[in-house]
Amino acid sequence: MKKVFILLNVVLLISIQMLSAQNIYLVGKITDSSTNKPISNVNIKLNKSNYSTTSNNLGNFDIKLNNISEEVLILSHVGYKKKEFKLNHYNTTDTIHIKLSALTLKLSEVEIMGQTDDRLPYSIAKISLKKIEESNLSDIGNIIAREPNIGGIKKGATGIDPVIRGFKYSQVVVQLNGGTRIEGGCPNRMDPTASHVNINDLSNITIYKGPFALKYGANFGGLVNLETFSPQFYSSFQNNISVFIGAQTNHTGYKSGIRIDGGDSSISYSISLNKNKFGNYIAGNGDIINSSSDNYNINAGLGFKVTNGHVIKLSADKSWGRNVYFTALPMDERKDDTEIYEASYTGTNFNNSINLIKASLYHSNVNHEMDNKNRPFSDTVVAISKIHAMNTGGRLAINLNIFNGNIELGGNFEHIYKDGKRYKWLIMQPNLPSFNENIWSNAQINNLGINAEYQQLGDIFSWIVAARTDFNTATSNPMLRLKPNGASVYENTDTESSYLNFSFSGGSSWQLNESNKISISFGKGTRSPDMIERYIILLPVGYDPYDYLGNPQLKPETNHELDFSYNFNNDRFGSLSTSIFFSYVTQYISTVLVPPSQVKPQTKGVLGVKTFINIDEAYLTGFEIAYNTPQKNRWLIQFNSAYTMGINPSATAYIIENGDIIGEENVKNDPLPEIPPFESNLWFSYSFFNKKLIPEINIRMVAAQNLVSVAYNEDTTPGFTILNFKINYTYNSQLQINFGVNNLLNINYYEHLNRRIIGTNSPFLEPGRLFYTNFIIKL
Amino acid sequence: MKYLIFLFTGLIILASSCSKTDKNQVSYIATGAISEFSLQYLNQNNELIKIEVTPQSAQDEWKYNYISDDGEIVYISGNYRDINSSLKLMILIDGKVYKQASNEADTLGYLTVSGTVPYN
Repeated sequence: MKKVFILLNVVLLISIQMLSAQNIYLVGKITDSSTNKPISNVNIKLNKSNYSTTSNNLGNFDIKLNNISEEVLILSHVGYKKKEFKLNHYNTTDTIHIKLSALTLKLSEVEIMGQTDDRLPYSIAKISLKKIEESNLSDIGNIIAREPNIGGIKKGATGIDPVIRGFKYSQVVVQLNGGTRIEGGCPNRMDPTASHVNINDLSNITIYKGPFALKYGANFGGLVNLETFSPQFYSSFQNNISVFIGAQTNHTGYKSGIRIDGGDSSISYSISLNKNKFGNYIAGNGDIINSSSDNYNINAGLGFKVTNGHVIKLSADKSWGRNVYFTALPMDERKDDTEIYEASYTGTNFNNSINLIKASLYHSNVNHEMDNKNRPFSDTVVAISKIHAMNTGGRLAINLNIFNGNIELGGNFEHIYKDGKRYKWLIMQPNLPSFNENIWSNAQINNLGINAEYQQLGDIFSWIVAARTDFNTATSNPMLRLKPNGASVYENTDTESSYLNFSFSGGSSWQLNESNKISISFGKGTRSPDMIERYIILLPVGYDPYDYLGNPQLKPETNHELDFSYNFNNDRFGSLSTSIFFSYVTQYISTVLVPPSQVKPQTKGVLGVKTFINIDEAYLTGFEIAYNTPQKNRWLIQFNSAYTMGINPSATAYIIENGDIIGEENVKNDPLPEIPPFESNLWFSYSFFNKKLIPEINIRMVAAQNLVSVAYNEDTTPGFTILNFKINYTYNSQLQINFGVNNLLNINYYEHLNRRIIGTNSPFLEPGRLFYTNFIIKL
Repeated sequence: MKYLIFLFTGLIILASSCSKTDKNQVSYIATGAISEFSLQYLNQNNELIKIEVTPQSAQDEWKYNYISDDGEIVYISGNYRDINSSLKLMILIDGKVYKQASNEADTLGYLTVSGTVPYN
């Protein structure tokens, strides 16, 4: 099968090359007329031949051409004035530089997610389609974790959970397409939101650091928006096909996908099929790490332009995860069946005062099954957990022009439901006794929020303010854990709670001159406790070896954050961006030991039971710095560096002797757990043949993490440096190939946020040397 | 040509998407007993079956075969009351011994062999 697969790819490649051999291509760059910054995602179309393309994140494009003298280039972008550009004065060898002027009535930046405005003061990181396509990584969390000051908690083959500036789990919102939420099934977060989305369906990722973007829901420590491909409209009927095939050694496997989309000016469609499959991998020291996974999905969408400026889009996604191994958890994912349904209306053609009305609805449905059948303990007890999790919600936003700026008023609603049991069979006992335990018992959280945001974006001075109020309620059937004989281990009937939370944010940026800009942002983001913190019933879901017990009366926690940033951008010297942040968290959600007299642990090997509590305060601070040489150069050097530290001023550590807790002590200024260490990255690249061939070397330097939590028995982690290399070859706009080697020197290392291999203190090692290649074909 | 490429690619993806059927032949074997013993085993419908077996000699073999998916629990336990007897239980998966246990002249008279069908 492998040989047939390779042969077909070769045939495919040769076919494309033959097809493309006779074509001429026009190459160009598009920039903003006032800021000179490149503009990505500009729709570029030729009026005669009808060929079209879009600009990449550097503003570059190339487009197939038949006869340059007769063609007019039509450029359109949602935030810029449409422009027609005659080509009769140009040769095909010329690189055309086109400047676009921003629309005066600019749409709110976050309505068009992924197309953020650089004038906003917030710290925003964008991961482009090109970067996603060029990576060998199949886990979206892993791609996000490569950004400065972002890490990922790794427990297995997939499902890496992002940690942004030290905030993690529900402190970070991960959503799809501007509002769709997914509630994962696993109490140990095997399946966070990103794991339910196929990487081949992603068009871009936008990361808002801090509690500043408030229009999508309560935001505590950051927001990650995953934008998937959706049906696009065309002036005349056409069909497009995109094929993606990637393969790699070591963590042997492939990711593959095909997308077909098309339509005309009033109706459009898209359909994609993807399959990713990976095996175990070999670490730098030769150890084999269980890390295989298999997942596939189908995604389909329809778009209707009811009248000009009024668009309805519908989409459905069904995905299947199978046999995903989680070396650091007591169970593996046996199967995960997820459905995501989305419907949206976007209206833009009203009058001068209304920019945009957007209404969207979604429903996500996760059926997650996991078991311990690949664990030694299954020789005596076979355990299978089956969880059903749903998230249903919607959002309404009206964006208006007012007082030389625009205001957005809106609201959103979210209903989360979770129910699940763990079934156990004592397979060495006579009569094969079996029993089941509640993990969640019809637990539900509702959140209704209203928000308002006002922004004025100018060439010199821009500012933005936002506020939101959330009404959050939660309920569950009684939290009950019984022994196999029916006796009660734990029971809590006081499971209802409701909170009214207020959040606000603001910021401004000042363009001091052509090259220098300073920004300041402040925000207060409050979030209510999540399902685990409220309702988990005696499972080891934390970093440390304790059974955890939810606390339905846990209070919301609040992040007060202040960000400063400075940006320098100059054609001669390149661009430099720096930011520092300081967070002061009140009612910080931490944990405390429950006395054994109240409840005894139920999981073999744990030290005791912990429950969630609010503590007075915690602090986090850190910085990010990034530098790029000018984009005009053939050679490019990029550098970034980031660091975060977090402190719990007064933590409680438990003294353990021979596996028993014998006392406790107060720890002053205990570092918060699971914060990635100081990290720097350096990239060197050089462009050959008009940026068609770009080799790149990346040196990733990660310091040791010695600031570890005493209260959570966190281990220190040694530092490491790894070398990665890749070559990107863009044959034309239809074919791109890249080839790379990760961890070229086969260094044995592991990330600080990798959990330990279950039942041991052994680190969960990262892959050793790994070769990969990707083919991207767009017709 | 465009559609030919589409067809080829679709076939590649479909071919790689088709996972093989993970079916396994499970066999339970009980042997070595010289007098009546009782057995409990999980059948193909995951029902716990209880039977009494009366062997004619220690060479007699009781056997039950069925087809199972990966990951299913396999379980057989035996109990004999004659302390002069013995019992050997085996679970075979696709003809190979997966797990086995035996008691010889053991006053306990009870043994269990169990596990889950390994994932391939």
